[in-house]
Amino acid sequence: MNKYELTPEGKEYLENSLPEKQLVDLLKEKNSIDFDDAKQIKNFYIALQWALKNKWVRSTGKEIILLNYPEHVPEQEALEKLSKGEDVDENVIEILIQRKLIKKLVYSEADKMVGKEVTTLTPELLKSGLWKQVSFQKYDVNTPVNRIYPGKLHPYRQVMEEIREKLIGMGFVEAKGPLVELNFWNADALFMPSDHPARGVHDIYMIKDPKTGKVVDNDLWKRVEETHKTGWIMGSKGWGNWNFELAQRLVLRSQTTAVSARTLYKLKKENLPHKMFVIDRNFRPDVIDAKHLVEFDQCEGIVVGEGLNFRHLLGYLKEIAETFGAEKVRFKPSYFPFTEPSVEGVALIKGLGWVEFGGAGIFRPEVTLPLGIEVPVLAWGLGIGRLAMIRMGISDIRQLYSEDLRWLREKEVVR
Amino acid sequence: MPTITYDKNDLLNLIGNKMSDEQLEETIHLMKTNIESENESEITIELTPDRPDLFGIEGLARAVKQYLGIETGLKKYSIKPASVNIRASDISYRNHIGAAVIRNVNVNDAFIKSLMNIQDVLTDTIGRKRKKVAIGIHDLDKIVPHFSYIEVDKNEKIIPLDQESEMSLSEIIERLPKGKEYGHILSGQEKYPVFTDARGIFSFPPIINSEKTRVTENTKNLLVELTGTDKDAVSQTLNIIVTNFADRGATIEAVKIFRGEKFESTPNLSPSTIDVEFSEIEKWSGVSFHKEDVFELLKRMGYDSVENKGKITIYIPPYRNDILHPIDVIEDIIISYGFNNFTPELPSLATIGSSHPVEKTSSKFRELLVGFGYQEIIRPLMTNPRELFDRMNVKRERIIELENPVSEDYTCLRNWLLPDLMKMMSTNKHVEYPQDIFQVGDVVVHDENEETMSRTVRKAAALIAHSKTNYSEVKATVESLLKQIGMKYTFKDSNLSHMIEGRQAIVLVNNKEIGYIGEINPVVLENYGIEMPCTAFELSLDSI
Repeated sequence: MNKYELTPEGKEYLENSLPEKQLVDLLKEKNSIDFDDAKQIKNFYIALQWALKNKWVRSTGKEIILLNYPEHVPEQEALEKLSKGEDVDENVIEILIQRKLIKKLVYSEADKMVGKEVTTLTPELLKSGLWKQVSFQKYDVNTPVNRIYPGKLHPYRQVMEEIREKLIGMGFVEAKGPLVELNFWNADALFMPSDHPARGVHDIYMIKDPKTGKVVDNDLWKRVEETHKTGWIMGSKGWGNWNFELAQRLVLRSQTTAVSARTLYKLKKENLPHKMFVIDRNFRPDVIDAKHLVEFDQCEGIVVGEGLNFRHLLGYLKEIAETFGAEKVRFKPSYFPFTEPSVEGVALIKGLGWVEFGGAGIFRPEVTLPLGIEVPVLAWGLGIGRLAMIRMGISDIRQLYSEDLRWLREKEVVR
Repeated sequence: MPTITYDKNDLLNLIGNKMSDEQLEETIHLMKTNIESENESEITIELTPDRPDLFGIEGLARAVKQYLGIETGLKKYSIKPASVNIRASDISYRNHIGAAVIRNVNVNDAFIKSLMNIQDVLTDTIGRKRKKVAIGIHDLDKIVPHFSYIEVDKNEKIIPLDQESEMSLSEIIERLPKGKEYGHILSGQEKYPVFTDARGIFSFPPIINSEKTRVTENTKNLLVELTGTDKDAVSQTLNIIVTNFADRGATIEAVKIFRGEKFESTPNLSPSTIDVEFSEIEKWSGVSFHKEDVFELLKRMGYDSVENKGKITIYIPPYRNDILHPIDVIEDIIISYGFNNFTPELPSLATIGSSHPVEKTSSKFRELLVGFGYQEIIRPLMTNPRELFDRMNVKRERIIELENPVSEDYTCLRNWLLPDLMKMMSTNKHVEYPQDIFQVGDVVVHDENEETMSRTVRKAAALIAHSKTNYSEVKATVESLLKQIGMKYTFKDSNLSHMIEGRQAIVLVNNKEIGYIGEINPVVLENYGIEMPCTAFELSLDSI
């Protein structure tokens, strides 16, 4: 069975009727018409030629006179049928081909396949309908095939995204802070004394140029200074000293708690209660090995609100641990320079046993009051790198930033 | 955090109670400590820096005894009147000194070990590596009164500890390991501080003791001297040392330190006090305790306390230096009660969570780039100018550099992402192509308008490598990306040296340049040893 396709001219006549049909339609009411009037028909001479040939009209040279109005116009009907893919009489086909209103579709490739076994079902086989006349080669279902690698998020990202999702679900608002940070936010505002060991040249990266940042809020700096020197107004002994130049020094952020401090400073009373979290990069000088990197991500959060206490702190820590699959949670005393009391969470995780999953505490008054916060602030932090390593099934921390494309391609998604 | 190894038998002897390993572990775990490792004879514990009184084995044993209720409340220590004086001159850069005489010590192995342990850990932590406090412990019977703390010429000589012959003070600084390690504390001084007896120098703080006053198994009486820059730190460290000795049965004897006619007697072991409101205890802990329970809980942490006009006055033991604010005592009440005896409670604080706009945009970009079939990579932010500029065939510019890098590979922060992707590609040359990788991450640039004189900028970059990649491909990708994000964009000619001339463009959104696209310059590909055509784009997401 052959297939045909209408030419542009054929398509036009399908839509507007064949020219000779247009001519007799024009004559149908009047029976005769002037030559000049009839010329409004597009392709008038073609129309006249075929109308004469079919003996539908006669011409006087000046006028065209209707002889016989045709009830059926086989060519017109054929165009309609072909456009719908229906069969048409061979004789009419021949006329239409002659008139260049249709053309026969040739499927040279598909034609060759007729009666044979093919390896591929081609668009041509489908278009020509010849697929009915071929058979398909059967696959060995176990035949080896090429590897395909989908585009993927880094496994570490998958873990971080999962954590973000969960924290957002718990009502925490994500915060960000600068990576190059003032010592002031990274330590002083957190009540870490000027001579704290973690502030030394071996424990924190200093910026070469420029060395110092700006004091934006003089009053805030005064409050922090007073807190360090004398305990300001909160009944603390303070540290007895404070180093302004050190506070001004620009460093690479060594703890995301700097972001918590900035968030507290910006927090307005009318926006309480407030929950904030941050997942971001920090930097500390170290010798790089399977357990240590000079940069690492931390995940931490704060809950700010009237009436919060130690039991609520444990409540959040437990909730977070359970969200990440802990079966049981225990707490033990711990120490952070900026929280008191401080607690370490230990969780029983299936297949791992008891693992430390994070630290928490209530921010010291020496931290909150200078920042303008008069209600308790619960703070917690998760060992995100460690959590990610467990989820990714790796034991070398350097793999978190792996350069091995093959490994990244093959690594199954984190579930 | 200091990690200290204790002799387990010695510890149990000091506690004076038979305990199983499990009981011991359980108790130690409840005291802000972590057991790192343990065997038959030793236990290694990681301690927190706020409790230097636990660094010594005697202090740890004392805390365990209190916690278990074997011996609770404020421990009283008596001090015998001074029989030894030190005449101190004013030495501006190291003016605070403290001293004590310890009599009737029983010098056995455990004692010496503990002595060495505590000296090093205390001077490292509370002493800030000897700058703030340094300790010298001497055999009292090997020195002859009168004692002085004075400055002397750098050419004065002593036989330093563990040496056989005399050395000058400046030689000690230049040649001995301790001199090299701690000499910087005295740098710039014209003279050096020393302790002298009737026969000469016996201690060179904060560097080294003399061989002649070495503590041996025959030692019966000790002179402890401390020097430092902070009065409180010096006296608290002294208190920790002498109370530890006293717990071993030794007698503490005061030393009078004369400055002119005036003298001060050290150590001072009288407890300091702090007042805490009962209501504050409930406010922070979330538990309403009976007053009597609070007194009892405090006793088990080594405090005494009395009710005083609605408040509670708490007597702080002289070896505790970490009590700055009532909250510090409240924490001890909470520890004493036992963390796991509190019922965790989740307050009903209704808040609506949300992600940061930068992260939201980043997630959208990652989603689309993964949709293109690209593999995400995550690389460190720290790098070096060779990677950022030289290998990329671009001129060096001002970036965020570190003053104290640890290695040559990490000396600055990246200011663009493409070098990471190029390096990644160069280490994966033998992995199947096409290789399409991307990174969405932060870079940091200088910005004098900011508080931190710098700005963290989120960028997205991709590198496409296969034999037919070209400008059209990368342009189609970026157009599609920006269209999907809903941005109107234009491209204009550019002349960036890391890409091929005439096959690159700047991308503009709202007439602002946000990045570039193009074919990587073969010079760069050669620098990385890459033998596959690469195209790339990098966009700043800040204005998107």
